[in-house]
Amino acid sequence: MNQQTLLTPVVRMEHISKHFPGVLANDQVSLELYPGQVLALLGENGAGKSTLMNMLVGLYRPDSGSIYIRGELADIQSPQDSMALGIGMIHQEFMLVGNMTVAENIILGLRDLPFVPKLDEIKTKITELSQRYNLQVDPDAVIHDLSVGEQQRVEILKLVYRGAEILILDEPTAVLTPGESRDLNKIIKKMLNEGKSAIFITHKMDEVIEFSHKVQVLRRGKTVNICDTKEVTPRDLANMMVGRDILFSLDRCPFNPGGVKLKVEHVTVNNPLGSRPFLDDVSLEIHQGEILGIAGVAGNGQSQLTEVITGLLPCSAGKIYIDNKEMSHATPLQIIRAGVSHIPSDRGAMGTVGDMSVGENLSMKKYRTKEISQGGIIKRSFMRAFADKLIKTFVIKTPDQNTCVKFLSGGNIQKTVLAREIDSCGGLLIAVYPSRGLDVGATEAVRQNLISQRDKGNAILLVSEELEELQMVADKIAVMFEGRIMGIKDVKETNTEELGLLMAGTTTVRRDA
Amino acid sequence: MKKLLVLLVLLLAITSLVFAQGVKEAAPKADEPFKVGIIYISSPGDMGYSYMHDQGTKAAEAYFGNKIEVIRMENVPENDSAARAMEQMVDAGCKIIFANSYNYQDYMLQVAKENPEVYFEHCSGYLDNPNMSNYFGRMYQMRYLSGMIAAKMSPTGKLGYIGAFNTPEVVRGLNGFALGARAVNPKATITVVWTNTWYDPSLERQGAVALLNQGIDVIAQHQDTTEPAKAAVERGKYAIGYNADFRDIIKDDHVLVSTMWNWGNYMIPSIESAMNGTWKSQSYWGGLEDDMIHLSPISPLVPKDFQAKVMAKQDEIAQGKWDVFWGELKDNTGVIRQKAGEKMADAKMLTMDWFVEGVIGTVK
Amino acid sequence: MRLAVVKRDTKSKSMAVLIPLISFIVSLILGAIVLLASKSSPLQAYSAMLKGAFGNARRFQYTIVEAIPLLMCGLGVGIAFRLKFWNIGAEGQYVWGAIGITWVMQFWKFLPTFMLLPIGLVVGMLLGAAWAGIPGFLKAQWSVDETLTTLMLNYVAIGFAEYLYINAWKAPYGNMGTPEFPEEAWLTQVWGKVHSGLFIALALVVILWFLLYKTRWGFELNMIGKNPRAARYQGVSIKTNIVLAMLISGAICGLAGSMNTAAIAHRLTKGVDSGYGFTGIIIAWMAGLHPFASILVAIVIAALKTGAESLQIAMKLPESMGEVLQGLVLLPLLAGTIFIEHRLKIIKQEAQ
Repeated sequence: MNQQTLLTPVVRMEHISKHFPGVLANDQVSLELYPGQVLALLGENGAGKSTLMNMLVGLYRPDSGSIYIRGELADIQSPQDSMALGIGMIHQEFMLVGNMTVAENIILGLRDLPFVPKLDEIKTKITELSQRYNLQVDPDAVIHDLSVGEQQRVEILKLVYRGAEILILDEPTAVLTPGESRDLNKIIKKMLNEGKSAIFITHKMDEVIEFSHKVQVLRRGKTVNICDTKEVTPRDLANMMVGRDILFSLDRCPFNPGGVKLKVEHVTVNNPLGSRPFLDDVSLEIHQGEILGIAGVAGNGQSQLTEVITGLLPCSAGKIYIDNKEMSHATPLQIIRAGVSHIPSDRGAMGTVGDMSVGENLSMKKYRTKEISQGGIIKRSFMRAFADKLIKTFVIKTPDQNTCVKFLSGGNIQKTVLAREIDSCGGLLIAVYPSRGLDVGATEAVRQNLISQRDKGNAILLVSEELEELQMVADKIAVMFEGRIMGIKDVKETNTEELGLLMAGTTTVRRDA
Repeated sequence: MKKLLVLLVLLLAITSLVFAQGVKEAAPKADEPFKVGIIYISSPGDMGYSYMHDQGTKAAEAYFGNKIEVIRMENVPENDSAARAMEQMVDAGCKIIFANSYNYQDYMLQVAKENPEVYFEHCSGYLDNPNMSNYFGRMYQMRYLSGMIAAKMSPTGKLGYIGAFNTPEVVRGLNGFALGARAVNPKATITVVWTNTWYDPSLERQGAVALLNQGIDVIAQHQDTTEPAKAAVERGKYAIGYNADFRDIIKDDHVLVSTMWNWGNYMIPSIESAMNGTWKSQSYWGGLEDDMIHLSPISPLVPKDFQAKVMAKQDEIAQGKWDVFWGELKDNTGVIRQKAGEKMADAKMLTMDWFVEGVIGTVK
Repeated sequence: MRLAVVKRDTKSKSMAVLIPLISFIVSLILGAIVLLASKSSPLQAYSAMLKGAFGNARRFQYTIVEAIPLLMCGLGVGIAFRLKFWNIGAEGQYVWGAIGITWVMQFWKFLPTFMLLPIGLVVGMLLGAAWAGIPGFLKAQWSVDETLTTLMLNYVAIGFAEYLYINAWKAPYGNMGTPEFPEEAWLTQVWGKVHSGLFIALALVVILWFLLYKTRWGFELNMIGKNPRAARYQGVSIKTNIVLAMLISGAICGLAGSMNTAAIAHRLTKGVDSGYGFTGIIIAWMAGLHPFASILVAIVIAALKTGAESLQIAMKLPESMGEVLQGLVLLPLLAGTIFIEHRLKIIKQEAQ
């Protein structure tokens, strides 16, 4: 498989540099990709991985340096240009139109489409392609009825349909279950056999080992190392990436739960559009000084659970108590006032206001308090001091606190949310995928932070898709499937196998669309 | 920052250049022509009210030649803009200013009080000042005559009238039309449609179409465009023109007659008196005697002998033997508004707010 | 070579000043082309416009008088715009303000005369607020699209005002319009034509600036406008704030209407719907929703209007030419705002 080939590389990037205001995102980075090869691009948040790839697909233009595709100098000005060269990228956030069908999404934006497309021919071709690569998707299914894994398959189909030979995958497994990740691996292997090649952006060591032939490590915009995957261990990679030794275990006090902080009793949330409710008779309890982990594949009711607790989603039936006070129909503000912090799953759409500054975003929970405002008037000097403190404590990389949040890297946006919510936590912290998009170092810090909140006596509801993380951090794990809680297990008394079965609804792996 | 500075300097330079240009232009000249300002509610291109005023202005221009210079402003709205327009005319050196729409009068009075050395002439209102007159014509007389023709030619006796606003001027004209019609056909009815606009081609046409759909076969109008008349003619029905000679414009004999203004006959003497310093404030209401108003040639479709009857009535009015609002008048609710033998005073005519018998519609 | 519009990486403050200036120069050049095409000297025309707007104290006063309602309507709609609530109903809210003060002046005879003006202004404000509150409530409660409701409500308000001054409230023997307000209840003039409404408008600028930039409520409005989901998640009630912002927006536009009526026409009559509400949208937009910037923009737009009027006198140009020039000035200015957040990029095509 991993034959060293003498062919010309399909992609060669030479001395690429790219500046953003206040940041040198790429500094003389070179990269080579050979046919039939998977290259893993590894690095911390803000190391410049996504920037480099965005230049390859025409979303950004390099300040200097050149790109050769199949040995020829290429001038890539737009995603269409890169598509024409056979390069396709699957982004972290899928670029699909939710209320259109799979087939419609696949042909959307095709340049040489006739005015009235022959949908039957297109569907036949989609079915043929999906069989060839084992991408089971129904071309007539509507996108928002599909699971995240299925949506990703649609994204891959989209690229294959357009004849992509070079696939770029930006953290493709971040949203997948372990089973789905294995499927993805198979799909990619099949494509490589046909001479396609792939670049894989990730910060998960296991994936690097599992998927790639070659690994290139970036740190602060520069290439640190390029080596054959066979020759390295995850620990080596982690050290290369962060530039220091990483701890793989966390310090924690013995489990010593206090009184009940949050009690959810038979809560149901109806889905006005679907047949199955978002939440179906969910009950759980979290004590002070306890971390309850919620495991499950994304889209099984986890985000609805957090939203109904935080007052963002109306509760159709059942009761919610915080500190023994009924809060089933409280407004989001009442919940905040009750001392609840919430790290939402979607940092861009919900967690932050991209067009406001880092300082303002950090203040969004506390602007009502004396710490930032006085008698309805916001004290800018207070806000500045407050934000500076958080930026320092949580090591948020930003040119200054007046920079708009949208200009930060994904990981730093996540850190902004974390900083604000952890700082303002007054008893209950609800954290949804808090380490998503973070590198090893930052992930470690987040986990440590959650544990220290727990040790302080706060109750924590941690939603995660990574069983490893839950097993490392949580005291108890509840598994959700199709809006129901399949079981609540003590971490010490369960194992990955049992949890995995619960996640799959005990009996079947695929859920019906 | 530097770029900004350069730009600011540049802008300043342009501004001062433009101002300098202005200074040159403002230099006063000797033996300037006598400046006359004219303000129109619409554009003279409307072929209606402002068009006829502009005909008067042109007559004055032809009469005085290069002794006067006319400054026109068109489409001036009836708000603060009117005051600004008049003041700008004063600034431009106008010695007499005419304005042709009713709602200008408050603003004209205001400007007149502040500029006693300039004469002001307001058409169709009632306010005055030592240096401000109001003037108008007895159009209701012509409307009476046109009502006679309309009733004569209507097979059904159902006449329609498109009115702009329920002002005394419009009400008076409509009553004149109705009285003329019922003098010929005592069973004739006149149905009113209000458009609440002086000038709106499509609304005016809509009003006419609504009436025509009710089976009305003559359309008269107090509006500024030819659209109501056109709508009638297109359906083979009759129309009565206003302001200009619609038969000439539409080229169809179904336009039976048009009631017309001759504003020049007032404007010329007024400008002349202003030039030689004999101008006096007045409330002027001109009629047939000084040719402020007249009828267009009557359509050949109207029988010759009836045309003669109309002309005879016109002579009676011109000679002061008879007028429209003389004698017993009943309103359209049956109340007697004026007893037999009485002659209506001008003051009553100027505030008329009721319809005579035979009119279908309400003033309010 | 080809040109592309690319989003700027950062918002540039100097660009926010430079771009309107450049746009303005571009519009002057465009105007000059049109003027030359109609055989008039652009320099003379611009000089006439400048003189028409600022040429002497009286002209300057008129420009300010014109700018006052424009400024207030700009401020009013600006508040709603902050929430991305497209209130294009300022015209109707303005008209309701005029109706409100007329109602008080004409029918609240039990009030002493000196109370008529202040109470009239307040009633105008309240009616404007109520009128704006309708689409606000509909949006908050049932997500009814506000562009349609606010726009259509304008015509209802204008039609109703017309009904009042032509029919129901018509002066007994006058022609069009309600009876004139008692002279003691007019808004006083402080400098020539300039009435004391100027102080109200300027005070509003300061108050709004403070509210929007200094208070918690302003912070919340900013959050809602830029990301409503995030605001809701932070405990900010979107429904309440939409209704509240619309009430304030309508109150300011209503006050503009009642104030202007008490200062100029002194009655409800034709011309009450003279477009201040619609032009206010342009002002809010060009000022980037900033209250202080709105002052400058309102004066520029008012000057364009008063200046264009003098073209007819000085240049004997038809009235439509004045409107063409006004449009030509606005177009590049509005189009220019895109370059505050975007920039033009020249992309060189590689030689094949």
